[in-house]
Amino acid sequence: MKPLGSGRFAALTLYAGTGLWVLLACLPILWALVISLRHYVDAFASPLRWFAPLTLDNYRGLWVEREFYVNFLNSVIVTAGAVSVSLSVGCLAGYAFSRYRGNAGFWLLIVALVFRAIPHSTLLPSFFLIFDTLGIRNSMFTLILVLVAINQPFTIWMLRSFFMNIPNDLDDAALVDGCSRIQAFRKVIIPVMWPGILTTGLFSFLLAYNDFLLSSALTNVEMMTMPVAIGNSINAESERLLMQGVAGAVSISLPLLLLIAFFQRQLVAGLTQGAVKG
Amino acid sequence: MRLRSFLLFTAPTLLLMTALLALPLATTFWLSVHSCAPQFDLVTVQQSGPFGPRELTTQRARLDSRGHPVENCKFVGLSYYANFIGLGGSASGQAADLQQAGAPEVASGTSNRVFLAALSFTLLYIAATTPFVIFFGMTLALCINAMHRRARGFFISASLLPFVITPVVGALCIKWLFRDDGLVAQLLAIGGVHIYWMGQAWSAQLLVILYGIWQVSPFAFIVFYAGLQSVPQDTLEAATLDGASGWQKLRYVVLPHLAPLIVFVSLIHIMDAYRVFEPVLVLTKGAFSTSVQYLTYYVLLQENNPYKASAAAVLTLTGIAILLVPLLRRTWREQRGLA
Repeated sequence: MKPLGSGRFAALTLYAGTGLWVLLACLPILWALVISLRHYVDAFASPLRWFAPLTLDNYRGLWVEREFYVNFLNSVIVTAGAVSVSLSVGCLAGYAFSRYRGNAGFWLLIVALVFRAIPHSTLLPSFFLIFDTLGIRNSMFTLILVLVAINQPFTIWMLRSFFMNIPNDLDDAALVDGCSRIQAFRKVIIPVMWPGILTTGLFSFLLAYNDFLLSSALTNVEMMTMPVAIGNSINAESERLLMQGVAGAVSISLPLLLLIAFFQRQLVAGLTQGAVKG
Repeated sequence: MRLRSFLLFTAPTLLLMTALLALPLATTFWLSVHSCAPQFDLVTVQQSGPFGPRELTTQRARLDSRGHPVENCKFVGLSYYANFIGLGGSASGQAADLQQAGAPEVASGTSNRVFLAALSFTLLYIAATTPFVIFFGMTLALCINAMHRRARGFFISASLLPFVITPVVGALCIKWLFRDDGLVAQLLAIGGVHIYWMGQAWSAQLLVILYGIWQVSPFAFIVFYAGLQSVPQDTLEAATLDGASGWQKLRYVVLPHLAPLIVFVSLIHIMDAYRVFEPVLVLTKGAFSTSVQYLTYYVLLQENNPYKASAAAVLTLTGIAILLVPLLRRTWREQRGLA
């Protein structure tokens, strides 16, 4: 489509308006960044203070005194575990769903779609009962498997649509040359699938990294991930705790900013994957 | 691909989804019509105090051979359900004696229709956010699409931020802006608007809705933006030659082309909005409004009653089942068409 207006004024309005809009959209995070570098008295001052002395106290308090690095490491373990299991299990299934033509495949895909819509909290009462009975409630391994399972329907659908873009001829050629299915999958299909795997991996990452509901319910204090630790500042009455929560909010967002900066193209591709086909 | 290798390839997924999704769902149904409590025995103990020895009768939880408390489970039928939707008051209900005193936030006053209250706010949230998400997403897509190609990347990245941010953190950041001594609340106060944003129901609910629009609009934007890349150029040129104005081109060429995407975004958003949880937790603490997903979470973790929580969960699932019908029909047609 051509630019809306061709005049210089129209162009200026367009850029300024959109710029202002995007700035407003980023304001909550930007302001959190600003006040995370202030003392409480300046951060929530009345009347408002645009400029105030900077300090790193909140970050020091968070990372050193409150040992936020423990939460950071927990998040790294949970996220890395969830993404890698999710992708390996999902690739096998996504490939099968893209190549199998029978009725069973269709029905399982529909069931997966239904599972994708399940509100996560509805699973929690049963999780408590089952995990308590088995004695595996407060375990990172359990949390990882739960996150993988929750994410599996979405992963399968997305990977399947990427696998469908790879022509069948490729597998057929490999099969004719004497490969087994699994060899064809490993040696021929996966090497050309990396863009799809990367995109799906990003979304698995976001789900595991951002999860609060399941992580807060299924882990104890020592295993808290970053969102859960920050979520504890919801009710923070003490000024120190509150300001450390602000610093935590900025800390957890930095990796996400890097993610957008480096993988914008893949994020966009992933978001439009299901839509443009439909 | 033959059925055997299909089953082999999908076995890990099917195992995971059966064990951690299907089985727990079935268990939820069972839990929701039962109630268990530890079994207590009356025991007589000898106590010796400064006034001499005496006998005392007290309760003690019965333990099994492994040292776990023995639980007595009984079938309570639909009494939790009845309670949640306001049929059968708590005084006469069978579950009344089993039910623990709910915190005032959720089970306040005489009304026990907590689920209906949660459902009505969830539906309000869906109805209030969907049109704005579509509108803002569309406007942003049209604006950025009209920009110079080189400027687009930056704007796309920046507008994606609310979408990828951790929901709990995003809601907290908005809360910090709207505290009485926060940035936006003070700017509004300068403009003459004095509101304690988290102090009453309507403004707290407004914040939750605002959060929803803020968080989901980027998704709509990206989908529409992708759709705009495939608008038929020759139709647009023909319209220009015929003397169509910019608005007419938008109305008669671009929007009809994007119509399926608008349906798609609405369906996905409705499904996701039904699960709204974090902003409700952060911005209202459940004091003024609860969403269906919040209700289950609260009853489970705060009231510590997995049986009652299961009933809330089943009611929640019933709602999503109804909402899912149009999406399933759409997918059905598509996939059958492909096969």
